[in-house]
Amino acid sequence: MKIQIKGIGITKFGELWDKSLLDLALEASTAAIADSGLDRKNIDAVFVGNMLIGKIAGQDHLGPVVTSSLGLNCASFKVEGACASGSLAVHLGIQGILAGTYKNVLVVGAEKMSDASTSQITWGLMGASSSKERKAGLTFPGLYALMAQAHMQKYGTTREEQAEVSVKNHYHASLNELAQYPFEISVEKVLNSSSISYPITLFDSSPITDGAAAVVISADDGSKGVYITGSAAASDTIDLAERKSLTELKATQIAGKKAMEQAGISIKDIKAAEVHDCFTIAEILAMEDLGFCPKGMGGKFIKSKATRLGGRCPVNTSGGLKACGHPVGATGVKQIIEITQQLRGKAGKRQVSGANIGLTQNVGGTGATVVVHVLQN
Amino acid sequence: MSSPVTVWRHHKNIKNYLNKKGKVLVWTRVFVAPAGYEQDAPYFVAMVQFEDGTKMPLQVVDFEGTELKRNQKIITVVRRLSKVKLDEVIEYGIKAKPV
Repeated sequence: MKIQIKGIGITKFGELWDKSLLDLALEASTAAIADSGLDRKNIDAVFVGNMLIGKIAGQDHLGPVVTSSLGLNCASFKVEGACASGSLAVHLGIQGILAGTYKNVLVVGAEKMSDASTSQITWGLMGASSSKERKAGLTFPGLYALMAQAHMQKYGTTREEQAEVSVKNHYHASLNELAQYPFEISVEKVLNSSSISYPITLFDSSPITDGAAAVVISADDGSKGVYITGSAAASDTIDLAERKSLTELKATQIAGKKAMEQAGISIKDIKAAEVHDCFTIAEILAMEDLGFCPKGMGGKFIKSKATRLGGRCPVNTSGGLKACGHPVGATGVKQIIEITQQLRGKAGKRQVSGANIGLTQNVGGTGATVVVHVLQN
Repeated sequence: MSSPVTVWRHHKNIKNYLNKKGKVLVWTRVFVAPAGYEQDAPYFVAMVQFEDGTKMPLQVVDFEGTELKRNQKIITVVRRLSKVKLDEVIEYGIKAKPV
């Protein structure tokens, strides 16, 4: 499989009070189209990744909301897969190209979260969980707190090791001017910040963010550039309680293996990765489930600094969801943009030297949807 | 927040989960609650394992401490769920009580 990444476009991530969802989606889309060098009339289909805007602002039917503003009459789709909406939209766009239906596809992920209150967002995000979890008063920090507790009990993972994820990703974000929180923090800061859902604190958690990210992807025309060589989606039970293990995401294991098989590479070949660190424990789980380290060793692996810039395989050079920000529908597309910039050698201060193969992992809910992409030069 | 008919449908299932015994596998204490649950925060939620081996997330009530214990024995009880307006139907559901 070879799908060319022709163009990328991304907005600033943060609390962007003067911008609407459409403003953000258009800014990223026009930038991606300009970067592709294509005339926008040559876009054959638009896939929009978004989770919450229908719920919090009443705007559904996002496909034509975007195409009409771009002056296009092509096919358009809204894709929803909770926090994996963005990469699920990319995955579907790829299928459209592989099927031969479309040649050039615009995928834009966008989310406008700061217009709603924290309790509204917390409630809205819980749409990605099960009815039993909602009735128990659980939240996403709560669900990941249960997984963190299980991991700590089973493998002896410490709170300090979890905090190291946040410290690393904030360091990376300090080198990314588009990040929501471009500054460094300490382990103490993470451990002593206010409790969101014990043991998860504020600085273990990705924030509420506005932002959009877009890519133009095209059929292989033999030209030089960055290509997607693996794209796989997998699913698991929506209800955490129905899983045999609370310390692994089966869908990450399945999608990771499949995407790497498609690309004909192994985990050792990956030079840079963007993974789903919605909470610090999630990056630890991702490291283990993708095979970067053995099961149960994720905390120690992070602490070894192997995934910090300058290490063996830097992870979340964008700052991750934690520090770059997490506009849920945009995140999966942003991950692909960060790896594209790494492979193009245009990542500036956060450039991973010799990056030629990269991976993205995007999670919906507690792992009921996982999408993994492999990118290569 | 739910319509009367969805509350009615949910209430028909409550009896299936009543008076079940189990233990706490892992727990959390929710400080930032979703809409409808803010008045209860902070509150405990545990992943409970019943005697038949099945698991279920349940809010833990009638507990005054700051830390739950792993393997704490519980029994399921009926309690009011999220807060509703005066003219809305009160929804009840299953919660867990330490024993």
